[in-house]
Amino acid sequence: MELVLTTHFGNDRYRHADTYEQLGGYAAMRKAFSMPKEEIVAEVRKANLRGRGGAGFPAGVKWGFLPKDLSRPRVLVINADEGEPGTFKDRLIMSRGPHLMIEGIVITSYALTIHNGYVYIRGEFVREAEIVQEAIDEAYAKGYLGKNILGSGYDLEVTVHRGAGAYICGEETSLLNSLEGKRGWPRVKPPFPASVGAFGLPTIVNNVETIADIPWIVTHGGEKFASLGVEKDGGTRLVCVSGPVKKPGVYELPVGISLRSILYEHAGGMQDGKALKAVIPGGSSTPVIRADEIDVGYDIDSMQKIGTMAGSGGVIVIPEGTCMVRALSVLMNFYAHESCGQCTPCREGCGWLARVLRRIENGEGREGDVELILNVCDNMMGRTICPLADAAVMPAQSFIWKFREEFDRHVRDKKCPYGNTF
Amino acid sequence: MSPSFSEATRARFERMLARYPDKEAAILPTLHLAQREFGHLSGEAIDYVATLLGFTPARIEGVATFYTMYNRKPVGKYHLQVCRNLSCSLMGAEHLIEHMSRKLGIKPGGTTADGTFTLSTVECLGSCGTAPVMQVNDDYHEDLTEESIDAILDGLRQEHG
Amino acid sequence: MPNFTINGISVDVPQGTTILEAAKTAGIEIPHYCYHPKLSVAGNCRMCLVEVEKFPKLQIACNTIVTDGMAVKTDSEKVKQAVTGVLEFLLIHHPIDCPICDQAGECGLQIYYMKYGLHKSRYAVEDKVHKKKVQDIGGQIILDAERCILCSRCIRFLQEVTGTGELEFFQRGDHSEISIFPGRPLDNRYTGNLADICPVGALTSKDFRFKCRVWLLRGARSICPGCANGCNVEAHFKEEILYRLKPRQNDEVNKTWMCDPGRLEYKKANEARLLTPVNRENGIPKAAPWEAALSSVAFRLWEMVEKHGPGSVAVIASPQFSNEELFLARKLADEVLRTPHLGFSLRTVGDGFADDFLIKADKNPNTRGAKLLGISEEKFDDIVQNVADGKIRALLVFGNGIADLSDAETGRLLANVPFVVQIATNEGAVSRAAHAILPSASFVERGGTFTNHAGRVQRFWMGFPPRGKARSAIEIITGLANRLGAGWKSGGEAQVFRAIAQSEAPFAGMSYESLGELGQTAGGKG
Repeated sequence: MELVLTTHFGNDRYRHADTYEQLGGYAAMRKAFSMPKEEIVAEVRKANLRGRGGAGFPAGVKWGFLPKDLSRPRVLVINADEGEPGTFKDRLIMSRGPHLMIEGIVITSYALTIHNGYVYIRGEFVREAEIVQEAIDEAYAKGYLGKNILGSGYDLEVTVHRGAGAYICGEETSLLNSLEGKRGWPRVKPPFPASVGAFGLPTIVNNVETIADIPWIVTHGGEKFASLGVEKDGGTRLVCVSGPVKKPGVYELPVGISLRSILYEHAGGMQDGKALKAVIPGGSSTPVIRADEIDVGYDIDSMQKIGTMAGSGGVIVIPEGTCMVRALSVLMNFYAHESCGQCTPCREGCGWLARVLRRIENGEGREGDVELILNVCDNMMGRTICPLADAAVMPAQSFIWKFREEFDRHVRDKKCPYGNTF
Repeated sequence: MSPSFSEATRARFERMLARYPDKEAAILPTLHLAQREFGHLSGEAIDYVATLLGFTPARIEGVATFYTMYNRKPVGKYHLQVCRNLSCSLMGAEHLIEHMSRKLGIKPGGTTADGTFTLSTVECLGSCGTAPVMQVNDDYHEDLTEESIDAILDGLRQEHG
Repeated sequence: MPNFTINGISVDVPQGTTILEAAKTAGIEIPHYCYHPKLSVAGNCRMCLVEVEKFPKLQIACNTIVTDGMAVKTDSEKVKQAVTGVLEFLLIHHPIDCPICDQAGECGLQIYYMKYGLHKSRYAVEDKVHKKKVQDIGGQIILDAERCILCSRCIRFLQEVTGTGELEFFQRGDHSEISIFPGRPLDNRYTGNLADICPVGALTSKDFRFKCRVWLLRGARSICPGCANGCNVEAHFKEEILYRLKPRQNDEVNKTWMCDPGRLEYKKANEARLLTPVNRENGIPKAAPWEAALSSVAFRLWEMVEKHGPGSVAVIASPQFSNEELFLARKLADEVLRTPHLGFSLRTVGDGFADDFLIKADKNPNTRGAKLLGISEEKFDDIVQNVADGKIRALLVFGNGIADLSDAETGRLLANVPFVVQIATNEGAVSRAAHAILPSASFVERGGTFTNHAGRVQRFWMGFPPRGKARSAIEIITGLANRLGAGWKSGGEAQVFRAIAQSEAPFAGMSYESLGELGQTAGGKG
């Protein structure tokens, strides 16, 4: 099986420039510098590389949104604010192969005539930020960053910017505000970042995994990358499996592989003979599916067809014996905690959902509470500046739609049948 | 006495400042530096950062209270931050939090009387494959069990003397 | 010019108009809280959601620019549901303490609840998030964080208009609140605007606190008399008591703002009023009927002119008076008394503070008007010299003070004059020395025009008739003139203004109609 990213992740020295280079690293950068810029962008378009941060927007198309004129300097921002519950792949790239990301940054910046890059790393990843900073320092020392890279006359500065604890900063405009030293409030669009982004300049925001795929695409060509995946969704993905499976972790797998194969072949199946109850397939914000729905290709379009999403690649495995009310309650506490508080429906709705779920779980649910939740969800969905409200609504609705009986039973019996615990 | 940066921190601050197009962008990194230097971000510390960067203290406070990692109140020498999100909960985080509460004699949000430990629950730390997880100051501790937690806490206590 | 339809009505609007503003031209109200025409767009309250054809999601009208052929609906079921939903969210934590809230009656939550809500509460009272109430945050403002809907208008005002940034959002999610940094209260001279732009009862006026329910107030369009800027205001009163001034939009003068000192100008109409004509007999002030007061003043003036010549009489006008009043004062001096001694005295009042926004150092509303009407400021010193030299036998003083003289200085100066008559609204140094006092109406008890520092002639309207026995200065001056044989026709301010427009070049071509609500700039240099 062809691997794009993780081939050398077992090598502890791979995070250093020397080893990375010995193992073929920075060759793509050299190749890119010999290519016309448009050709690099064309290869990325051909690759059908779709954003790995969650929204799945085609990277090449996104790059095309930059204004054509070069009168205003452009900025590249790497979204390393990995925070979607169930997702832990960017952390792996940054700690095991930071130069993949850096090389991706150099190529992308060169192709798009960008001279300033920022890597926005979530604040909790202190050690990862240190590793990335060390790798950046190495790249500067080798002349792959800074002035006159490879004697091409091209300059690029890259700065690590640490977040400070806010899930919402994974949303790209919130991230930009945070980078600018503001509260992490998503921005009203238009204008979009490609025209007015970081520091008022045209800006591209790409996820770590997305940008780390770029060197391979340049080396092997867009078509080759596309062929690893499915029709409109190319390459491999880092799939994160968590929950009680035998081998939780990050797996690099071809886009489109079946979810069943991810769980039972790669992650080794369920721990301790537990049965599978449900799967949250693409990070906590994606709609939950039942155990009988896992025969589906793990790509953006196939997942969409069954009413859910591949999102950020975070597969959370929920075993039989788990109280779905409690599970949802945990998630709603999370969204209430992370709502930035800007838009009315999200600020008030997330907390409301969390409170009603808490009382249902505690055996204090009232008649009509489940309908109330669904109705509050309707009043939140699609009504806000950013997708955080939707991200809270999707699990809430899907948990109830797929496991309604459990919710009703909590209310009817005035207690949690699972003993009010996990 | 009003707080101020040591010479070493001041030098780091100046180097950091040079990376950004304006002082506003330096607010988050400066708060990180201030917290490291002063332990937590007191009102005086906020005021200091405000003056240093040329903003109103309200502007700085707005940022400091938005992000969970900035501690506006003092925390113990070791800040135990246990993830309570779904993957960790599925792997037993709730029980571990109870275990730690019992062992330390404090509820989440509390600090031990000797100021060694503050116990907090936090949202997803982005390490779900090795759940349950906690962050102690800058470091992650993964695949936690009651036994491994006991060992970690005992080790930290010894370190603290 | 893009053409679009809103609820089926076809409308042309200028390029770049938002749906929210465009809807107004079609007479359609789109509910909103965070949007304010003079502040940047925040787009966070989500009240102005509308349906735009070809957009799968509802769009916010405040940030969506009308394009040609766009079809917008504000009355569909989908929109109604969204608006009701947002309103319900806004109210779940609200303390519903309307009975003790000054905003009641002009509260955006009450108004929209009656229009778009009317839902039963589905939120558990015990789940309400509590926040700090009754916080004195400085300036003229009290903050109640529980009533706040976090629309951010106040924060944007302090960032974009005053540039002082005292208020910020703290915390996040449903614990978000606006606040000052502890120990750093509001520190600007425009804080009262915060209470105006706050759509709910979160920021209310300290001065107006618990004074009067707003639905008992009536309003008169007026001009702030506090300085030469001439901010357009609405004067709010109940019976004969003024309760507050609120800015009235005039983009050429004050947009939708006014300053804090200006807001307190209403007190002048309530406090230390001269409400009855007074004659001083043997040093003792005695109330007199108007007829007697006017006759005796006219007689004394005539007597002085007869005995000592017109040069023994002087008139000190005041730029606190309207163009109409000053015009008649000038006519009285020039044509009736025929004295060369007419001038006006400037009062600076307070610290004489000025900024580059609304506050002018000249604390008089009509200095420019006085100058344009040919009343000289320079002559004032000359008059004072004549008074000091004992050459003035009768002095007519407009207003409650002479320049910035103290009570004692005023007393000493006026002791040189055998007969001092005062026309004024409020007590002051002059009234303590005057031999006759003719009480004039306050700015809300009469109509007229002021000319602001930039030469803009602006009308103010009568809210209620003069209190007590006070009369408009037009009436008083006309009464004196006629008792001195002038034979003026009596008439209101409109007639006087017509005469000004006919004879005074800077005002040529103007009329009350042409001035309208927002005024017009006078020609020539003052």
